[in-house]
Amino acid sequence: MIVFPWIFTIWMSLHDWHIGSKQTFVGLDNYIALATNRRFLESIGHTIYFTILAVVLPMVLGTVSALVFHKKFRGRGFFRTIFIMPMMATPVAVSLIWTMMFHPQLGVLNYLLSTVGLPPSEWVYSPNTVIPSLILVEIWLWTPFVMIIVLGGLASLPTEPYEAALIDGASQWQMFWNITYPLVLPFLVVALIMRTIDALKVFETIWAICNGGPGTSSEVLNVYLYAQAFAYNQVGTASAVVVVFFAIIVALSLILLWARQKAKWA
Amino acid sequence: MGMNLRTKRKIRRLVDKVALALSVAVLLAPCLFVFFWMVSLSVKYDIDNTAWPPVFWPEQVTFDNFAKVFDESPMLLYFWNSVQVTGSATLVALLLGVPAAYGIAKARAHKMAAVLLLSRMTPGLSYLIPLFTLFQVLGLIGTVWPIALTHMVITLPIVVWIMIGFFETQPHELEEAARIDGATLWQAFRYVALPLSRPGIVVGAILAFISSWNNFIFGAVFAGRTTRTMPVAVYNMLTFESFAWGPLAAAAIVVMLPVILLTIVIQREIVQGLSAGGVK
Amino acid sequence: MTRDSIPRPISRRRALQGAAATTAAWVGGLAAPMLNTVTAYSQSGAFNWQRFKGQTVEVLMETGPRADLMKKYQKEFLDQTGIKLGIEVIPEQQARQKVAIELNSGKPSFDVFNFAFHVQKRQFEKAGWLQDLSPWLKDSQMMPAEYELGDVSKMGMGFATTSDGQINALPILCDYFMVYYNKELFAKKGVAFPKTMDEMMAAAAKLHDPANGIAGFVGRGVRNANVVLWTQLLSGWGQETISRTKPLTLLTDTPDAIAAAEYYKKMLASYGPQGVTGFNWNEAQGLFMQGKAAMWVDATGFAAPVEDKTKSRVVGKVGYGLPPSGPKGHGSVTFGTGMAVPKAAAHKEAGYFTMLWMTGRAMAGRMMQVGGGIPFRTAPLKDPAILSTLTVPKEWADCAAGCAPLSMSGLPVIVPVTEFRDVIGTALTNLLGGADAATEMKRATAEFKPVLDKSEAA
Repeated sequence: MIVFPWIFTIWMSLHDWHIGSKQTFVGLDNYIALATNRRFLESIGHTIYFTILAVVLPMVLGTVSALVFHKKFRGRGFFRTIFIMPMMATPVAVSLIWTMMFHPQLGVLNYLLSTVGLPPSEWVYSPNTVIPSLILVEIWLWTPFVMIIVLGGLASLPTEPYEAALIDGASQWQMFWNITYPLVLPFLVVALIMRTIDALKVFETIWAICNGGPGTSSEVLNVYLYAQAFAYNQVGTASAVVVVFFAIIVALSLILLWARQKAKWA
Repeated sequence: MGMNLRTKRKIRRLVDKVALALSVAVLLAPCLFVFFWMVSLSVKYDIDNTAWPPVFWPEQVTFDNFAKVFDESPMLLYFWNSVQVTGSATLVALLLGVPAAYGIAKARAHKMAAVLLLSRMTPGLSYLIPLFTLFQVLGLIGTVWPIALTHMVITLPIVVWIMIGFFETQPHELEEAARIDGATLWQAFRYVALPLSRPGIVVGAILAFISSWNNFIFGAVFAGRTTRTMPVAVYNMLTFESFAWGPLAAAAIVVMLPVILLTIVIQREIVQGLSAGGVK
Repeated sequence: MTRDSIPRPISRRRALQGAAATTAAWVGGLAAPMLNTVTAYSQSGAFNWQRFKGQTVEVLMETGPRADLMKKYQKEFLDQTGIKLGIEVIPEQQARQKVAIELNSGKPSFDVFNFAFHVQKRQFEKAGWLQDLSPWLKDSQMMPAEYELGDVSKMGMGFATTSDGQINALPILCDYFMVYYNKELFAKKGVAFPKTMDEMMAAAAKLHDPANGIAGFVGRGVRNANVVLWTQLLSGWGQETISRTKPLTLLTDTPDAIAAAEYYKKMLASYGPQGVTGFNWNEAQGLFMQGKAAMWVDATGFAAPVEDKTKSRVVGKVGYGLPPSGPKGHGSVTFGTGMAVPKAAAHKEAGYFTMLWMTGRAMAGRMMQVGGGIPFRTAPLKDPAILSTLTVPKEWADCAAGCAPLSMSGLPVIVPVTEFRDVIGTALTNLLGGADAATEMKRATAEFKPVLDKSEAA
């Protein structure tokens, strides 16, 4: 199940094959063509840009929300349930709802902006704002995931260091930075790794909302791959994209795993 | 002085409370709003859904959109397909994944864990063409099994990932005692480790279930008329000749309802289990 | 699933054949030839709708009015023929992927399906996936007189014919480009419906009123879909996208092509709504139906929703007009849809009967009636029984009839047409962001040329 696709993919990446015509062995030609393919290279850029934002922002917001939900208050369980609902929601369905909200003339988001006196945005309908707008969806979907993991870290904290610090008259911020942060770090790293992998692989939301557009301004690797394989039926090229893509993911993950080991022993 | 300090403290506490309430409100607002808007779209006619300024509270509530969803497609069949696919993908992931995770955790086989992580990292799309060809040869296309099989590619790594975390944090003493008493590794797993890790299994099962339920792309390629899963059915509500926001929102609600309900029922386990899994 | 529940005596052998064929297709990338072993012919007699009764035909339809009609009347077809239909309806983009993958596998799950001539025809033809219907069309046992084959338009039959003269599809629907306009907004500003492209630009300028949220013009801006709006404009220069003679040469960077691109840029960037770069037909339609766009240029198939009171605020205020003429020509780009039976289908004859019914005279009339589209036939367009019972304004039908003589090809008939649309479409999208028309069209043409050359050489 897992091995067969890989052999097939690598073999196909050495062929020129348009579905419906003959396969011809072309060696590394597909890879060479990709190296100078502007659209492919741009999609790598988009993937990196998207991944950085889609990792950093949910990480920050998730950590902040975990700190909030770590406090004890009435109805905490109930509010927390509401908060984690987005991460359980079906991404394709959510994407379609967001698409309706993004509509520049008829969408509700521009109306909300207008009520606070802000000018309308073109959201996913302009190459300049499309990636940040998609990031909004990503934040909405995945902040709860980071929150839950960090919350687990907070729950496992010992209480003694805080008592000691309180006696020493430490400020809230000092306690966070000197005690909470280092103890929660391993959890943050886990969240970071998962988030990075998922952000690199992002597909369904972008595909359903704007299909990599306008133009190719939000075309990430996975969306480009989809176009090659299923819209253009260029299986050879698509397979080569998979191989390169996978190499990028593995390289990044190795770095992260290494960072994780470091964090564990730090 | 004493009074003063007490009032100060009181004020301080009040400020803290207000700040907390505000931050909870700010955190929840986007989440609530999107769900509210989805419900609102689903109970209005499209003429109101596209009105400007937007109609927040429908003057005329209609369930036509839901009726349309159920009229136009056999939603109950799709629901059943989703249950079959997700159920079997989750079950098999547990049957294979839990013992595998135990083995990996006990043998400290981090390389194995890395291989599993690799399969989680592989873009799902890359499986599609080879697997489609494989399933054709096996004559499985047209049944729900190819979808269930591909979903295992998603569910298995999740279960293993979470369970490794669980088994590693479990105290070793009990199992070691069992081993000394002559239990085999399997027996130690079956009678000692397994019962202890029930919370982990629950979480693994839930997360596997949800990620499989929500998966769209495998179903989109492998499913036929009678084997479609719910997310694919929702996407198919996009009509060709017209702009149909109401029915789309209604379909979105129908597909999400089961997982949302599940979340509400067992949110505590999810939160606890995910955090425990993260310890690893 | 339903198909498997029908008793098939030699299903095991067929399964093996299928598997072998699949392996062949997978290893060699060859089209998988499959023998038709299922249906026994009756040896004599005239055409008989009941001839293949008891079979179940799997149909794959793209979402749209045709699929709706088919579902609505499938009971009637069952009564008439004894053939049961299993109708799968999926959105266009997904359907195209599914069809290609399944046909390539040599064992499609459907017996008959619909497809766009301009997008898929060449690929299917080159791969040899479709059943040649020519012998059946000439066979009186397989072609009923009531089908009125002679009434099917020449253009339609042309679309359905391969370069080596086989007929491997039956045309069902023909989509022209027309202008939808908001009569109320036109009257308010005292603007007359434009006859020329210059007049259209001037009208858009007058009608454009962003302060009140009114766009003078709306149309497709999103990559891929936008290409057909540009080719519609290009028809005003009397030009198509590709040479008609071999070797195929791209005509997408000629001075006329650049002029059309400049027109496109000026029209959408100056008089289009905000965010038009991301608009497909559905966003454009939404805006037009809310009365927020004065003109909308798109295909004929959208009259029904525009005249639907639960969706549209412009019911009864919509005018339907011919595309205006340009400096060098006057055209309406045309897209054809057909139905076909795969060579590897399990129920070819019954599938063909289904197609006869769907593309036949009666269903064509029904499609017209609900504004679902224009059939590739002449009789329904003149049939008073149909014209008097239209559920959409007659102006729409008149306009569509007026488009017919202006028909021009809107997309090149080549295999990599989706890539063509993506590459040229990206250039057009870039124009809306301020890029220079000549530079972009030349760049895109150069980018696509190797793809075309490779595909033509294959």
